[in-house]
Amino acid sequence: MAEELTGAVEHAASRRAVLTAATLVAGGIIVGGVGAPAVGSGSRLGDAEILNFALEMEELQAALYEQALQHAGLTGELAQYARVVGAHERAHIAFLRQTLGSRAKPAPAFDFGDAVTDPDRFAAAARVLEDLGVAALDGQAANLTRPSLAAVATIVSVEARHAAWIRDLVGELPAPTPSNPAEGAARVLAAIRRTGFVKGAS
Amino acid sequence: MSDNLERLDRDGALAESLGPLAPSTRRTVLRTLAAAGLIGSAAALAGAGAADAATEPHGDVAILNYALTLEYLQSAFYTEVERIGALTGETARMARIVGAHERAHVRMLQGVLGSKAVAGPTFDFHGATDSEDAFVRTAVAFEDLGVAAYKGQAPRIASPAYLAAALAIHANEARHAAWIRRIAGIVPAQSAFDQPATAAHVVQVVNSTHFIAGRTQAAGMPGFTG
Repeated sequence: MAEELTGAVEHAASRRAVLTAATLVAGGIIVGGVGAPAVGSGSRLGDAEILNFALEMEELQAALYEQALQHAGLTGELAQYARVVGAHERAHIAFLRQTLGSRAKPAPAFDFGDAVTDPDRFAAAARVLEDLGVAALDGQAANLTRPSLAAVATIVSVEARHAAWIRDLVGELPAPTPSNPAEGAARVLAAIRRTGFVKGAS
Repeated sequence: MSDNLERLDRDGALAESLGPLAPSTRRTVLRTLAAAGLIGSAAALAGAGAADAATEPHGDVAILNYALTLEYLQSAFYTEVERIGALTGETARMARIVGAHERAHVRMLQGVLGSKAVAGPTFDFHGATDSEDAFVRTAVAFEDLGVAAYKGQAPRIASPAYLAAALAIHANEARHAAWIRRIAGIVPAQSAFDQPATAAHVVQVVNSTHFIAGRTQAAGMPGFTG
């Protein structure tokens, strides 16, 4: 499953990702039936949709780290990675929830299976979700208003650092391409669904 | 004064990025930046570019030429360290792969800018490419600085295509930064939020290293000096 997801992300490495008029589906729930604003002309509605999309990615990552730290018997640098990165994801959630205020969507329920009980499965899942998180944020950046873009940019490079760190830990090249791939919302959501981690979304 | 600086530089990232510089230079840079109000967490979420619009590059061409100059610097740094051959093992592998990325960034930006691309300056790395230890410390500083530099300019780029290209490079530089930090034995992701840097800050740091030996200048972009 991880390989399939990775393939889906890397397949689209060169695609210029934009949020199309396709609805933004998160956790199997349609959160944005309204067409996204055109590239370069962000709006508050577009920002809220995109920040909620980012929020769900962060919730997914934070829950993975929290549950793995409890149940996977992580040791050494992998445990350090999960602690440090988990704390970052929680800080991102707090920031996004504060920014969104009453527009913030509740976190969906997750089921990580053996990705939170087996260290190797955890590392593989973390690598996929971190690469996906960077691609997802970069894919939406041009749709954000400039103030929101400035805020999201402080998060996206941290996600890229996480991705490089976990890739190094699992023996993969931390920076595989000169241009980090961006990914459109539809493909990101399909990739999330394929993990089976989000309940009700598969 | 130093208490104030420590408070401004809460996670130590800035002090760390200036680590390779002589302590007196570092102090001067920090003092200047603090006095100018260029460092501080408030700039991050409000859009750093607005903070000192007078010194920032204006327009996409000037912004991309500013980025190109930083890429020339990084590219030359890795190319030279590889030529000298002072690195071994994982550090050598990192320098080889990242150097190829930086050269690709130069070609990307030159391709976008066409005849408006600024020429590459000449460099003198003053020993930073002669030993593994000096290389690693300098690479950590310049990769972290590169991430902050792109982040400072991204919200100021008008063209969606240029923005996408800049962000693709921005995330790639963050991966480089994490990689070299891990090689250096420091945490790859030092805080939950990476702060942007203004061009004024970046130019000042670059100029304080004296790595740029020959002057480069283009209309509307900040002046790097030797």
